[in-house]
Amino acid sequence: MTISRRHFLKLSANSLAGASLGGMSLALSGIRAQAADTSGYKALVGVFLFGGMDNHDTIIPHDSSSYQRWASIRQSMVNSMGASRARDNLLPLTNPGGFGSRRFALPSEMAGLHRLFESGAASIVGNVGPLIEPTDRSSFDAESVRLPPRLFSHNDQQATWMAGAPEGASFGWAGLFADAAQQAGANPGAAFSTITTGGADLLITGRDTAPYQVGEEGAAQAYILEDLEGDLGEAMRRHFAATGFRPGNLLRRDIADKLHASYDANEQYNLATQSGGGASTAFPPTPLGQQLAAVANAIAVREQLGVSRQIFTAAMGGFDTHSAQARDLPMLQQELADAVEAFYQAMTELGLEQDVTLFTTSDFGRTLAINGDGTDHGWAAHHFIVGGAVQGGQIFGDIPEADFDHPQDAGGGRLIPTMSVEQFAAPMGAWFGLSEGELASALPNLRNFDAGPNLFT
Amino acid sequence: MITTSIMNRFAATLTLSALLYAATASAAAGDAARDQAFKDQRSTARFLSQATFGPTPGDINQLRGSSASEWFQAQLALPPTYLMPIFEEYAERAEESESDDEFDLLANEGATFGFWRNAVSAPDQLRQRMAFALSELLVVSNGGGEVLTDVPQAVTWYQDLLIEHAFGNYRELLEAVTYSPAMGYYLTYMGNERGDPATGRVPDENYAREIMQLFTIGVLELNLNGTPKRDSDGQPIETYSNADVTGLARVFTGLNLDERFYDVEEDADALAYSTPMAIFPESHSERPKQFLGTTIPANTPAAESIDAALDHLFAHPNVGPFVGRQIIQRFTSSSPNKGYVKRVAQAFNRGSYRLPDGSQVGTGQRGDLAATLAAVLFDPQARKPKGKAAGKVREPILRFTHWARAFRVQQVTPEYNWQLWDTSGPGMLGQHPYRAQSVFNFFRPGYVAPGTETGKRGLTVPELQIVNASSVPGYTNFMTGFVFAWQQYEDIEELQEEYDEEGIGLDASRVVTSFLPNYRSELSRAEDADALLRRLDLLLTHGQLSSATRNAVKEAINAIPVYDEESLDYRVKFAILMIMTSPDYLVLR
Repeated sequence: MTISRRHFLKLSANSLAGASLGGMSLALSGIRAQAADTSGYKALVGVFLFGGMDNHDTIIPHDSSSYQRWASIRQSMVNSMGASRARDNLLPLTNPGGFGSRRFALPSEMAGLHRLFESGAASIVGNVGPLIEPTDRSSFDAESVRLPPRLFSHNDQQATWMAGAPEGASFGWAGLFADAAQQAGANPGAAFSTITTGGADLLITGRDTAPYQVGEEGAAQAYILEDLEGDLGEAMRRHFAATGFRPGNLLRRDIADKLHASYDANEQYNLATQSGGGASTAFPPTPLGQQLAAVANAIAVREQLGVSRQIFTAAMGGFDTHSAQARDLPMLQQELADAVEAFYQAMTELGLEQDVTLFTTSDFGRTLAINGDGTDHGWAAHHFIVGGAVQGGQIFGDIPEADFDHPQDAGGGRLIPTMSVEQFAAPMGAWFGLSEGELASALPNLRNFDAGPNLFT
Repeated sequence: MITTSIMNRFAATLTLSALLYAATASAAAGDAARDQAFKDQRSTARFLSQATFGPTPGDINQLRGSSASEWFQAQLALPPTYLMPIFEEYAERAEESESDDEFDLLANEGATFGFWRNAVSAPDQLRQRMAFALSELLVVSNGGGEVLTDVPQAVTWYQDLLIEHAFGNYRELLEAVTYSPAMGYYLTYMGNERGDPATGRVPDENYAREIMQLFTIGVLELNLNGTPKRDSDGQPIETYSNADVTGLARVFTGLNLDERFYDVEEDADALAYSTPMAIFPESHSERPKQFLGTTIPANTPAAESIDAALDHLFAHPNVGPFVGRQIIQRFTSSSPNKGYVKRVAQAFNRGSYRLPDGSQVGTGQRGDLAATLAAVLFDPQARKPKGKAAGKVREPILRFTHWARAFRVQQVTPEYNWQLWDTSGPGMLGQHPYRAQSVFNFFRPGYVAPGTETGKRGLTVPELQIVNASSVPGYTNFMTGFVFAWQQYEDIEELQEEYDEEGIGLDASRVVTSFLPNYRSELSRAEDADALLRRLDLLLTHGQLSSATRNAVKEAINAIPVYDEESLDYRVKFAILMIMTSPDYLVLR
């Protein structure tokens, strides 16, 4: 029996705060009732996998019969992947429990994430995706539930994952997390509350928080200012700072504001990083590796920036494997796993592995059915959560069978989520320090679901 | 007052010549009032900023006082300047060089170099601008590092389709796009096989989804003015479901590269990617294809199925406002108002538009792109915009080409400017021709920037999606290099060594003059800050330079005392850089 969230909250308010309830989490326990907790330092890092990562080819069935079924459904693709997807070469996940005789493995390219999982620094959150209310196959087929609009569409599902609404949404849940922390005085200003290395800006855009974009080399600056002194230098600095510019035209005003905010933030960021002090961990020379290195460098100067709560996004593309999945996906998985492992090591080096939690997100999962040499847009997917504070080595939520026509199959092996994005996000918000009220306002649909899993120790 | 019956009788007896006379007469009356686009230097510069890759001083002087309608018609009549001959020129030079590397860098960027050359110096500016706008709507990208990067003919040939059809009909363009190997590869329906119930294999749905979502009808039912229709509960109405995608996906099966080249030719890929895809009947779905309320019967062959599917999509009433609004966004208005969208959609649907001088544009067939473009550029909201959110944030690519044309670069040899090989990064322009990150383009037409004045009002400003703390200084730095002509200081010997090492057959001595600006007219005014500003205000901001920017520039350049040629040169360069990084310039209004 599952306990409705409303019921759960009532119970916890009466007597059960801080206790655990039949395996159901108390994700919200220990949180101050009113304002966000901003003590110490905490950061969330979202890695957005653009295009829709194939869940079926990431958390791979590994017990003999499930593997055989999976391999037969995807025969031609599995064949073209050769050794990479041979059962003996997969990286088995030590029995995470809860799945009977079913076992799972990661592809061999994901050795970095596999090591983190096995050492207790990472877990898997299964079958998570956008929902408005609990949904299964019969309610989906009968159209008796409200569904997120424009399922299976890239841009709309990206936006739905980040902001609970299709393209055009303004604020992401992590941005609202940052707002709450900011209002509780986490940081001196909102300039560095959220930082992106490129992409997924919506996730970390709040009402008060606009993401700061940092380059791989740190803050960008106008070269022309470097050697300019005297009156000319001052005039140019004032020009680029674009202060006091209030044009009547709204577009010009927006541009002026952006010029101004960019100039200010870059100046501050450069000032902070001048004192140095990044992690010495070597990151892979891949785009994601370099982005996560930039995130690590930003975290290393948190004291100079005076911040105690930050949310970052990094992104990689290429997961829309309609075609040539056998060639492309393993490389992407390698890039992801290696970069994430390096990031965890860097956090350990900085002594921050308990204070920084990384998670993956994506547009959607993919079909189990193949279209020749690729897969099409799906719905729910399986994601990773990494950090010292995470209850490691677990599979939270569900991993539906790699088969068709089960209660979570929306057709073609597109998985109907059993965990909503809100349930995935809420424990992270609670860990980040948000109160129940703040979580409820950042994740309005949370009230339609049970409490999320207990992702943290 | 004329009664209805008299009007009817009158209309019935009107002859064609009388109608023509009436049209001409009213046009003549409207002429003086409406064809004011080239009335003076400023209005000429403004119109050309909207319609071309930037006004040149020569164009401003020659066209001032003439008819913009005539200019528009003359532009329609110019022969297209294609990319493929430019690509071939680079490919030939690559062959002549001593490189034995098969992956030739110079030929590989042929489409890039062709774009810069045509944008800066092709005479058919209107067509080139329209083709560029279409390249941001019907997106393919050579940035993936795969076939579309390695076989440069694919994207070159594809962009030539857009250049060819720029003033044609959207339905025909859709067909050309559908059969193009570049799109077939990019949206993965090249080699798409019909389903197989035995193995559970289903047709790839990628193109079926995106042709509806991005190329024709969009996700919501639209009114003619581009706003979403509402159902009885006040909710927007979705245009298609996943079942429609699955049904339409069957249509786009059985297309693949034309095999005939592979038996006989050495460079078969190059040829196959610059020819429409061929039909492979055995791979085409034989099942009924049901989507958007129509069913293409079982066993309809591929060509007929594609024809019928494109007809059905094209017939949807969304196409006019959906496509029209995006064309407006690419030329004049980041957030066009309802009336503007409606008038442009009407021109799209009617297939014709009457210019201010009374002459007609368009064939009268629905989907006429020349008529649509005329409606975009000659609309009152383009000519004399009203409202606080009027105008368009200039796209970074267009800012650069504007500079190159305004300051009359003579040697348009982009291959010698390393920056122009790839301007994608946020430290560059954050935008590179034919190289969007995905089929969703550099920015989305529906992007509403959070935390902004336009955002508060729910107004779209797509271009703000690529404005951030990295791209702002990135653009400044990119322009600084060109405005200050830093190529003059390149170490030619060192560069020649690099070229030789890479096997690029380039002569490094040409670097110093490539994209070198000609500031002679500006230098002659540089002693007098006001005179210099008047000149730059005309060329760059068509008279809209604000007093704030004007004062800032004066303050800066007056801090450069005039004692020699070099100090004058600095005054000009600082002034240009400041104006081109000011809000006055960055928004074309």
